[in-house]
Amino acid sequence: MKDLRLRLRALLFPGHVERDLQDELAFHVEFETRRLVDAGVPEAEARAQALARFGSTAWTADQCRDARGIRFFDALRQDVRYAIRSFRRAPTFAITVVGTIALGLGLNTALFTMFDAYVLTPFAVRDPHSLYQIEWMSRDRQWHQFTWAQYEEFGRGNPMFSETLAERHQLITRIEGHTVYALLVSGNYFQMLGVGAALGRTLGPADAVRPGGEAVVVLSYALWQRQFGGDPAIVGRTLLVQGHPCEVVGVAREGFVGLTLAPPHDLWLPITLAPRVEDGADVFGPDQPAHVGIVGRLRPGIGPQAAKAAVLTWAQHLTSAAPDDRKAESVLFESRATSIPLSPTLVMVFSPVLVGFGLVLLIACANVANMMLARGLARQREIGIRLTLGAARGRLVRQMLTESVLLAISAGAAGFLVSRAAIDLGVRVMFATLPTGFIEFVRLAPLPPDARVFGFTLVTAFATGLLFGLAPALQATRSNVVQMARGDFPGDFGPSRLRNGLVVAQITATAMLLVTAAVLLRSVQRVARIDPGFRTRDVISLDIRDPFRDRVLNALRSSPVVTAVAATSASPLEGTAPGVSVVTSERAELQRARYRYVSPDYFDVFGIDIVKGRTFTADEARGGAAVAIVSETSARRWWPDREAVGQSLQIVADARVPPRARIRRHARVHVIGVARDTAADIDNTGPVTSAIHFPIDSAEPGMGLLVRVLGDPEAASRSLDASLGVAAPGSLREIHKLQELMGVRLFPFRLAYWIAGLVGVLALLLTVSGVYGVLSYLVAQRAKEIGIRVALGASVSRVMALVMRQSVRLATLGLALGGLLAVGAVRLVAARLLMIDIFDGAAYLGGLIVVVAACLLASCIPALRAARIDPMVTLRAD
Amino acid sequence: MTEKPALDLLQGTLDLLILRTLQHDPMHGWAIADRIQQISRDVLQVNQGSLYPALHRLEHRGWVDAEWRVSDLGRRAKYYRLTAAGRRQLERETAEWETLSAAIARVLRHA
Repeated sequence: MKDLRLRLRALLFPGHVERDLQDELAFHVEFETRRLVDAGVPEAEARAQALARFGSTAWTADQCRDARGIRFFDALRQDVRYAIRSFRRAPTFAITVVGTIALGLGLNTALFTMFDAYVLTPFAVRDPHSLYQIEWMSRDRQWHQFTWAQYEEFGRGNPMFSETLAERHQLITRIEGHTVYALLVSGNYFQMLGVGAALGRTLGPADAVRPGGEAVVVLSYALWQRQFGGDPAIVGRTLLVQGHPCEVVGVAREGFVGLTLAPPHDLWLPITLAPRVEDGADVFGPDQPAHVGIVGRLRPGIGPQAAKAAVLTWAQHLTSAAPDDRKAESVLFESRATSIPLSPTLVMVFSPVLVGFGLVLLIACANVANMMLARGLARQREIGIRLTLGAARGRLVRQMLTESVLLAISAGAAGFLVSRAAIDLGVRVMFATLPTGFIEFVRLAPLPPDARVFGFTLVTAFATGLLFGLAPALQATRSNVVQMARGDFPGDFGPSRLRNGLVVAQITATAMLLVTAAVLLRSVQRVARIDPGFRTRDVISLDIRDPFRDRVLNALRSSPVVTAVAATSASPLEGTAPGVSVVTSERAELQRARYRYVSPDYFDVFGIDIVKGRTFTADEARGGAAVAIVSETSARRWWPDREAVGQSLQIVADARVPPRARIRRHARVHVIGVARDTAADIDNTGPVTSAIHFPIDSAEPGMGLLVRVLGDPEAASRSLDASLGVAAPGSLREIHKLQELMGVRLFPFRLAYWIAGLVGVLALLLTVSGVYGVLSYLVAQRAKEIGIRVALGASVSRVMALVMRQSVRLATLGLALGGLLAVGAVRLVAARLLMIDIFDGAAYLGGLIVVVAACLLASCIPALRAARIDPMVTLRAD
Repeated sequence: MTEKPALDLLQGTLDLLILRTLQHDPMHGWAIADRIQQISRDVLQVNQGSLYPALHRLEHRGWVDAEWRVSDLGRRAKYYRLTAAGRRQLERETAEWETLSAAIARVLRHA
C-alpha cells in the first residue's frame, strides 16, 4: 500500500520527489562539512573533503531512484516525449494510423454501446438480478402464459419466490393523438420493483383489487416530459385510455421504463382495468385466457435451476388433466435484470455480427502494421545506430511499443468520438428513412456511454496498440547490428503474399458492398418512379377498433373534410393483399391474382375508373354476393377475345387457405365489372396488375377504412383524429396518409441501401488505408532500387508508374472478385426485396469506378514519395 | 514488493543495521551512518552510495517512515523512523542473523 502511494506520488509529482532526493543528499554533505569545520578544518577544505567522501551524488541519486522503482516512469516519460516528437515529424503517418484504428474502434465501441444498453445494464429497480420471468411450453411446442387464477395460486406462499407480479402484453394505444405503449400490471408492481414516484404516487395494491376497478394511470417520466411538457398539474387530470377515462395519479421516477427496452413503456394501468381497455378475451372473465405474464423475485439462497425445476413441476401439475399435446413439457425461466438476458443463444445469434466487427478492427490493425513496418524500415538506420551505441533491444522495443500504444490510445479517444457519431448517424438515418407516420411507433433506448463503454474502448485500444505494434517493433530491431548501422538490411521482411492478399480481400469486400449499394440505390429510384395508378394525395387510411365501428362511420360520414368513405380488407400499398387461384371457363389451368374485399365506394375514393360494367351495389356489399370486379390485366389475360363482364370465375382455395376464410364462401363468382389497373401491390417484377375485388360492407368487422379528404391531407388527418377523439374516444388504432404508405413501401430499400452504403464507405476508407500501407512499405523496401533507377535516368512519371502499377494489379484482382461476389450478394438481397435488377450494368460500373479511383488516390502519396527519392542520399547510405 | 532479497549478505546486513539503529529515535541519513560507524568502532564504514538507496528501499517496503523536520543546523532534513512493520522485520532479521552467525561459528569451530 505504502509502496503504491509513494509510486503514485513519484508519478504525479516527479518534481517534488526529485527535489526531496536532491535536498536529502545535499543535507548529508552539508552536515559532514559542518562536522569537519567544528573539528577545525577550514571551511573550503571541509566542503571538498565531505564531497569526496560522499562520492558521486548523481550516481547515488540514480541508485535511490532505482531503489524507489521510479525508473520505469522516467523511462516512460522519455519514451512518450520521444514518440510525440517523432509524430510531429511525420504527422501524415500519425493521422493515418489514428484515423484507421479510430474507425475500427469506433464501430466496435458503437456496437458495444448497444450491447451494453440492452444486455449488460441492469434496470434501475430493486435487486434486478433476482427477477425472473416464467412461461411454459406445451408438447405441441406452443409457449403459454398463465391465467389470472394460476397467477394468484402461484404467488400464494411460494417457497421459491418471495414476490410475484403480473403483467399483460403491452398495449399500443393513442393518448391525445400520440401513440403510446401501455402496460397493465398487478397492484404490487411498483412496490416490488422499488420504484417511487417523481410526482404524485405510483400504483399500489389498492388500485387493483377488483376487476374493472380504479381507473387510474401512472405515466413514465419520459412521456410526462415529452407529451405534457413536465406540467406539474398533470396529477389529477383525466386521460382517455382506449376511450376509457383514467385519472393520472402520478409520474414514475426518472429513468424507469419497465422491465424491457423493446419498447420502453410510457404508462402503467392496474391490470383490473383490462376488461375496460382491452378488446380481446377478458382476463378476469369466465374464459380464463392464459394471458397473464408472471415475473417473480427469487428468494435469497434459491438457485435459478432449483426454482426452474419447481416451476416445471407446477406447470405439469396444472396441465395434468389436459389432453396430451397440451401438457407442459418445459418452462422458460429468464432473467429480467436486463432487457435482453445474456445467454449462449444470444451469443450464438450475434456472433456473426461480432466476428464481422472484429474483422474490421483486425483489418485496420493489419493495415496499420504495414504502415508501421514501412516506418520501421525508414528508421532502420536510426535504430541501427542506437543498437550499436548499446541501447538494449528490449528498451528499443519498449520505446516503439510506447509509440504504438500512444497512437492506439489517441485512436481510442478518436474512436470514442467516432462511436458517438456513428450512433447519432445511425439514429438519424433510421428516422430519416422511416416514413413520418411510423416514427412515433419507434422507441430507442437511450445509449449513453457509461464506465463499461469507456473501459471497453480503453482496453481494446490498448490491445490494438500491442497488436499492430509488436510485430513491426520486433522486426525492426531484429536485424544484425553491423548491417543495420551500415543501412543495409535483408530484403525480405515477412510474407508479402499475405500482405497483398489482405489488401486484395479488402478491395474485394469494398467492391462488393459498393456495387450492392449502387444496385439498391437504383432500385429505390425505380420503385419510387412507379405510378400507383390511383390517387394517394388526399386519401387517409384508418385502423379502428370494431366496437366503435358504427360510431366512427357515422362521424366520418358527417365530417366536413371527408368526401367519401370506403372499406377494404387490405389497404393498397401495405403489401397485405393475399393471392388466390382461379379457373376461368375459358382455360383449364390455374391463374393467380391478388384479391381484396372492398366496399362499393372503394373505386370512387381512389379515383379508379370502372372501364366496363359497374361497381357493387349496396345490397351486394351487405350480402357478400358472389360477384367480382377484375382488373384490366386480368380481364385481358383470362378472356383475351371476349367481354369479361358476364363471365364467371371459379375460386380454387388450396390447402394454405384457412378453413373459415371468407374467400371460401363462394366457389364461383360472376364478373360484373372491369377496373383500371393499379400498382396497389408489387412483387419481384414490379406492379401486380392482375387483381380481383369482392364486395363487402363498411360495417363488416375487421375492415380498414379509407377516406378521401378535402384540403391539406396533413391538416385533415389531424382534424379527423381530433373529431374521432370526441365522437368515439379510443376508437382509433392507427391513422396514415396514403402518401406515407408510399414511403413505407420504399423503406426497406432505403434502409438496405443506407446500410450497404455506409458499410461500403467504411470498407472504402479501410481499403484506402490498406493500399496506402502496403505501398508505403513497398516504397520503403525498394528505396535503394528506386534510387538506382532514378540515378540511371528514370523519369518521375516512370517511378510513379512503377508504384501505381502495383496498386492497379492489386485492384484488378480485387475488383474482379468483388464484382463476382456482388452478383451473389445482390441475388441474396433480391430474395428479400422486390424489383431488383441483378445485372444492373450501370450500378456495377459505378461501384467499381469508385473503388478504382480510391485505390489510385491511396497510392498517390507513396508514389510521390518514391518520385522524390534522391539517389544521392539513398545510394550514399552504403 | 514483499519479496526478500536473495541471500545478499551485504545488502541484507545493511538493512538490518539501519533498522536496529532506528530502534529508539528517528534519525537522518548522516546520523545513521555515523552511529553505525561509532558503535562498530569504525569497523563498519557505511558507504553513502548504499545507505540512501537502502533507506529508500526500506521506505517503499513500509519498514521505515520518513518525515521532513528542521535539523540542528536549521535546515530541512529527512528523518527516518521505524514503523511497526519495521519493528517486526527487525525481530525477524535479528533472529535470522543470530541463527546464521551461530551456524557459521559452529562450522568454523568444528569443521
